[in-house]
Amino acid sequence: MHIDKFERYWIVAASLMLGAFFAALIASTIVFGVHLPDPAGRINPADVEDWTNQGFATPGLRDMGDNHYEAHIVAQMWLYNTGDVVDGVPTVRVPQGAVVTFNVASKDVTHGFYIEYHNVNIMVIPGQISRATVTFNRPGTYRIVCHEYCGNGHHNMNAQVIVEPSA
Amino acid sequence: MQAAQTRDIPVLEFPKLTALKTERWLVGVHLIVAFSALSLGLLMGPFQAFRRAPALQWDIPIFSYYYQALTLHGVLNALVFTTFFIVGFSYFVTQRTLQRPLASIRVAWAAFVIMLVGLVLAAFAIVTGQANVLYTFYPPMVAHPTFYLGLTLVIVASWMAGGDIFFTYAAWKRDHKGETVPLAVYATLTNFIMWITATIGVAVEVLFLMLPLSLGLVQTTDPQVARIMFWFFGHPLVYFWLLPAYTAWYTMMPKQNGVRLFSDGLGRVAFLMIMLFSIPIGVHHLFTDPGVSEVAKLFHALLTFVVALPSLLTAFNIAATLEWAGRKRGATGLVGWVFKQQWGNPVMAGMITGMLIFIIGGLTGIMNASFTLNLALHNTTWVPGHFHTTLAGGVFLTYMGIFYWLMPFLSGRKLFAPRLATAQVYLWFIGMLTFGLAMGRAGIEGAPRRTDAGAAAYISEAAVPWLNLTAVAGVILLISSILLYIVILGTLFASKKQEKADAEPPIDTKAPADDPSPSIFENWRVWMVVIVISNLVMWGPVLIQALDFTKGFIIFGFHPNAPIPLK
Ligand code: HEM
Ligand SMILES: [Cu+2]
Ligand SMILES: [Cu+2]
Repeated sequence: MHIDKFERYWIVAASLMLGAFFAALIASTIVFGVHLPDPAGRINPADVEDWTNQGFATPGLRDMGDNHYEAHIVAQMWLYNTGDVVDGVPTVRVPQGAVVTFNVASKDVTHGFYIEYHNVNIMVIPGQISRATVTFNRPGTYRIVCHEYCGNGHHNMNAQVIVEPSA
Repeated sequence: MQAAQTRDIPVLEFPKLTALKTERWLVGVHLIVAFSALSLGLLMGPFQAFRRAPALQWDIPIFSYYYQALTLHGVLNALVFTTFFIVGFSYFVTQRTLQRPLASIRVAWAAFVIMLVGLVLAAFAIVTGQANVLYTFYPPMVAHPTFYLGLTLVIVASWMAGGDIFFTYAAWKRDHKGETVPLAVYATLTNFIMWITATIGVAVEVLFLMLPLSLGLVQTTDPQVARIMFWFFGHPLVYFWLLPAYTAWYTMMPKQNGVRLFSDGLGRVAFLMIMLFSIPIGVHHLFTDPGVSEVAKLFHALLTFVVALPSLLTAFNIAATLEWAGRKRGATGLVGWVFKQQWGNPVMAGMITGMLIFIIGGLTGIMNASFTLNLALHNTTWVPGHFHTTLAGGVFLTYMGIFYWLMPFLSGRKLFAPRLATAQVYLWFIGMLTFGLAMGRAGIEGAPRRTDAGAAAYISEAAVPWLNLTAVAGVILLISSILLYIVILGTLFASKKQEKADAEPPIDTKAPADDPSPSIFENWRVWMVVIVISNLVMWGPVLIQALDFTKGFIIFGFHPNAPIPLK
């Protein structure tokens, strides 16, 4: 099998390019600390005790001190229960600079959990706990949307994060 | 080598007229079903765009329920049209290239009938609104049993087709001991080996998880496990669509230009690599799933970069071949050959615009695969933006390029209004480029995919202009689609009979004798072992981690219209 000289150069160049891309994505994780979701435990939505023990019976935000927060959110057809509502929209209210760990669980079908402009993008699959940690540096209101089709009312399923400016 | 040269049979001598007739009908009916299904699926597309554009928010005609229309669009275009087209095309390529009829024409017809029944069953469930679950049908959402049964039949029939093709090849091999199989059939074989391996995943999912749940035989399932099985199949699925397009670029385009392929051997390497690497990378569709470990995601990301290599090889090989073609027509200088292509011929225009738009599809694909970057893109309209430049762009345009010579060849009639066909191609190219750009930008601004934006309770302001632009693209694509069907109907019913001389299909019937490939390329046993081992290593741990060995399956099914578990 004959391989042309230029084709050989091309193969080397293409491999180097792909290698560089892969190095960049490893750097994004190791150097910049951006992570993909990792298993955070199982939950049985039909088992009330399990549901309660894992903190989903009372959704809401918990202050863990030192600027860290833990949020438990229930996703269900077709709304989020965040334990707080502002102007009819389920809300998570945090101060600027807060580091928030979201724990999301589904009561029924598969949902999505996406916070605009914040690298939070995770599937909410019944039976699994979805966990993502993010820092809110800029004050403002950021929409949370369900971005996985979950039935008739899917397009109405949204919530918001309100980041209040620190005084 | 010597033998190969003396056996050079002119294409027109094959096959006898009787065989030609069955061949015409067999391939022809596959195309007829493919384009009939496509007509409905295609119609939904522009109206989905109109529905999603804040400036219009129109209701979709006939199927006003958005998710029903979207299910139809996904199933008919991406599953039904493609499978029928590919099976028909693969039969054609195999028979013409090997200069012999299929091993069993009966099996081929039986497969066709089973596939058709499958299509009717699945379509019944969707059209009657009992399968609003989209073409990925993720549990615990449940559809009518006929939906799953129909899809199973389509898959089983495609196995029969693949088996028939393989037996045809085996028979050829017995008659041609020691000869290298021509590239077109080599490509077809890699495609079906990949396909049959991959569909095992979805077949197990449908038969053992979805059907029993839908029939009420069991009450619970495991959505994470089901997603893993689905995406064992899902990535090879996209290559199943792509490889016939590559086959046309590698083995027909050169002949249509009167040159030979730049490198037959590296073409084989490309197909072989895709066969091997397209399955153990599917976790890149599960980057945001909670039940799959980050380490597994990293390994699958790595191999995803490896599978980009054969496409980069293809880019060089095809561009070099086109350069030869241009120079043969008298092109000079560094880029003169670009202008010496057959830009006005619908067949070549379809293929070349397909290649061009596929460059964008490939690059955006690498972005999707880039692990953490996926966090910004997953499930936003960026993703449909991406695959309308690959599937609905590069693949579809190449299929049109194939179709515009295959349809006249099969029907024995001249292509109706070739200028219209050329216009169809360019409108599609421009429309899909616009659509991809607009959907991509809207996605970056946070517009979720698979969402009835026309009825949504929210809208991202920054995405509004881009979503409106998708409607503009929708108009262009609607016009292009109408032209396509004018050309089809015109060719079949209003066109002149074709002279025999220009009916020769662009098929290469032998491998180049002066540049033989290593025989290991055709040693399927070795590659099967590689496939089995690599997938056990790459998928085994993912599946085991997702299975709950203490509680088993605990998640109840749901209909998409009510939050009440199906107990
Ligand atoms: C007339 C040209 C077309 C237009 C205007 C169009 C438009 C669209 C739109 C707007 C969506 C996204 C809807 C959403 O996410 O809410 C979509 C989805 C999709 N399209 Fe197309 N499309 C066209 C042609 C095609 C073709 C030719 C194919 C395949 C051969 C195709 C395959 C798909 C698939 C697989 C989906 C995803 C469905 C899902 O998310 O469940 N489309 N299309
Ligand atoms: Cu949803
Ligand atoms: Cu993929």
